[in-house]
Amino acid sequence: MSLVINKNFDEEKNVWDVALKGEVDIYTANKLKETLIDMVSEKPQDILIDASSLEYIDSTGLGVLIGALKRLKQHDKDIYIRETKVNVRKIFNITGLDKIFKLEG
Amino acid sequence: MTIPSRPEYVGVIRLTVSAIANRIGFNIEDIEDIKVAVAEACTNAIQHSYKNAKNFYVGFEVGIDSLGIIVKDEGTGIKVEDVKEPQLGELKEGGLGIFIIKSLMDEVSFSCEIEKGTEIKMVKFLHENY
Repeated sequence: MSLVINKNFDEEKNVWDVALKGEVDIYTANKLKETLIDMVSEKPQDILIDASSLEYIDSTGLGVLIGALKRLKQHDKDIYIRETKVNVRKIFNITGLDKIFKLEG
Repeated sequence: MTIPSRPEYVGVIRLTVSAIANRIGFNIEDIEDIKVAVAEACTNAIQHSYKNAKNFYVGFEVGIDSLGIIVKDEGTGIKVEDVKEPQLGELKEGGLGIFIIKSLMDEVSFSCEIEKGTEIKMVKFLHENY
């Protein structure tokens, strides 16, 4: 299984909406990294990630998210992650990243 | 098993180890833990392999009430004592993999020789009250 990334800038709310579908691992993490870097360069605004179809994430994926968050923090913006599946949530919890990212739902 | 040292094969190992853990009788949550831990070890093996290393190795030890997995590479090797636990709020991109493995598995051991490679052995026990 691979990773599908759907991104859209919500002009009304001034936020990025990103839906992740599939798996973020060593194979797909670069694709996510490039997408997030492009987004932050284009418009450094809050990023809302819909993780309801994210089946799997590993440390390489977390590394990419941390890298993007660091860039956003320079602009006082955040990454919000919504509707994580139980297994994905567990990875955020054990690494303590549930306290770094805004996890919702 | 001998696996090509390429990112696209980590997903194959995840499926393989899930199937083996399922056959032993682990529950879904434990299978997920094993899957993540093994994938992290494989990711490490690929990232720390020599550029010309074509393969790494995954071995399974099926016990009566346990599953042991060995992931071995012929990479540059890491000094295990150099791997620090991630600090909350420090926001480091790397170093999370080994921490995740230790969190999810019941026993984890590393052996590592600089320039010879790294071997990670991890064990998950089947608990009776399932």
